[in-house]
Amino acid sequence: MTSLKHYLLNGSGHFGLYGGRYLPELLIPIMEDLEKAFYAAIDDHKFLEELENLYSNYSGRPTPLTFCENLTRKLGGAKIFLKNEGLNHTGAHKINHCLGQALLAKRLGKKRIIAETGAGQHGLASATVAAKFGMECTVYMGAKDYDRQRPNVFWMERLGAKVVAVEEGGQILRDAISAALRDLISNPLDTHYLLGTVCGPHPYPVMNTFFQKIIGIEVREQLKKQEGKLPDYLVACVGGGSNAMGLFHDFLDDPEVKMIAVEAGGKGIHSKGSRFDHAARFQEGEVGVVEGFKSYFLQDANGQIGETQSISAGLDYSGVGPQLAYLKDLGRIEAYFALDTEIMEAYQMLAEQEGIFAAMESTHALVEVIKLAPKLKKDQIIVFNCSGRGDKDLFITTQHFDKKRFNAFLQQFT
Amino acid sequence: MKQLMTHIVAGYPTIAKSQQLALTMAKSGVSFIEIQIPFSDPVADGRTIMEANQVALENGTTPEDCFELMARLKHKTHIPLLFMTYFNIPFRYGLEKFCERAKAVGAYGLIIPDIPIDEEPYDHYIKLCKKHDLHPIQVISSITPEERLKRIGKVASGFVYCVTGTRTTGERKELDSDSGDYLSRVRKHIRIPLALGFGISSKKQVKAVLKKADIAVIGSKILKLSQSCPSGRDRVRRFILSLNSARI
Repeated sequence: MTSLKHYLLNGSGHFGLYGGRYLPELLIPIMEDLEKAFYAAIDDHKFLEELENLYSNYSGRPTPLTFCENLTRKLGGAKIFLKNEGLNHTGAHKINHCLGQALLAKRLGKKRIIAETGAGQHGLASATVAAKFGMECTVYMGAKDYDRQRPNVFWMERLGAKVVAVEEGGQILRDAISAALRDLISNPLDTHYLLGTVCGPHPYPVMNTFFQKIIGIEVREQLKKQEGKLPDYLVACVGGGSNAMGLFHDFLDDPEVKMIAVEAGGKGIHSKGSRFDHAARFQEGEVGVVEGFKSYFLQDANGQIGETQSISAGLDYSGVGPQLAYLKDLGRIEAYFALDTEIMEAYQMLAEQEGIFAAMESTHALVEVIKLAPKLKKDQIIVFNCSGRGDKDLFITTQHFDKKRFNAFLQQFT
Repeated sequence: MKQLMTHIVAGYPTIAKSQQLALTMAKSGVSFIEIQIPFSDPVADGRTIMEANQVALENGTTPEDCFELMARLKHKTHIPLLFMTYFNIPFRYGLEKFCERAKAVGAYGLIIPDIPIDEEPYDHYIKLCKKHDLHPIQVISSITPEERLKRIGKVASGFVYCVTGTRTTGERKELDSDSGDYLSRVRKHIRIPLALGFGISSKKQVKAVLKKADIAVIGSKILKLSQSCPSGRDRVRRFILSLNSARI
């Protein structure tokens, strides 16, 4: 059997039908330079040592693999382990590829970093590494997200980043990506575009997978120590797919390890034209070519990209990483979705049982774990990626659990 | 004589008005018109054209409307018309079907900025265009390396669209001063006519561009003129006529 692990990091950037580099000619030389620098860097021990040093001494890796004993007992089936990526610096796995790309940008002599962000988590991690590496930073954010994610805008600005509210289009993540690409077209030489997931043109899917695969590598070692065996199931939420690729990658050549990707089911799997009530690309998506790559996209019959919906900004995206599209077609991963209405109950259950607040995004994976665990045998093992911690969702969770008192509290400041 | 290419966004502000605007351009003496099929994510376009795309989509403009628009225009003008759009539109339509339909309504070629030559083994875009007798217009930039210019020169047909500077579309006061060097570098590898565009907005610029290039491309500037009320089309007509003396 050929190694899937190797194939999904291959230098062509094509994964079966998916991936590629569908960009205006203007950006091609920039991507070629980035690709060359990336493959040279990962062959360079000094680069990898520097990255490992940042992982452990800046971000706090390895993150714990926690046995959820109470949750396991409550659900009465498989043993549940939680990979706590929320304990990274800045609160989520995003810092992994931000550190990797910032090191690469430094190697390329770039002076400026730009990034897109939806909820603000990737923007925050980008602003953080820019501060750490002494680079200028501009973060593009859809105007709608800019308004509803004020706390993250505040943090990014404190870190010295310039946050630009993008007024064009639907004023969401997609528009922020377009704005960042336009910035790169205008400033191709001194700027590095720190794209925040395993989407976009080659080499981004490969590069971000490479910087995220540390998650799965740690899980393998930790579980070997704790249980002496491989997991039976890996479960991760999928927006663009960076945390899922991070967890899955190291296990791709272990056929006994099953993998489940959980997308945002939003208000349910229905749509009208280019308006989708969800962000479940594997349910209603069609193959398309957008923002530089070929994959599944939520789009209408004419190829116009759709508006998506989800309670979690990090999953609210119309496209999905090309490597995941390939793995789905291959049958190597299964794809399910969690509805907005299922999220709060799961969130509360994890808090009460294990004392951990999961991010809304990661809670999507948890919803599937709660469904799956009781169906499995007691000696089976599920590892789910708690890709981020829930602190950032304070303004969403309070509206659900304690709206009146929390809003009264906020009133005091107006 | 040197040539001018102008641009409309089909369906902006309405299908009927974009049709009238294209006819005004043709009557005023332009040599080529790009008919942009609106797309939700036009990454290579600046603000003016991007907003026009959005309006056209809000009006419900479909690729089929654009084909019909071109068919009607071809009955009224003989100048070459091209479809400009992003790759997802023909990809979703079915690339071969799209090429067939574009040829049937009289298109001269396609301008699709986000399908670089490297993807040819995967999508066969150039092959399918040529099979259906359409020019797959290649778009290059001032930072395209010589090695790529050589490869592009081998497949280019019709003309080659050279983007000035490192920018998205949109008018600007100063053109990059080194555009002469840029074009001479390109000419070494590409022996068909060169169109120069992105940011041209005055007669002086057209004159400067046409000293080196064969075709001057004017996009955003004309779109903006057409927006003036009530005499937008008239201003477009006068502007294009005023450029004609720069073309000799």
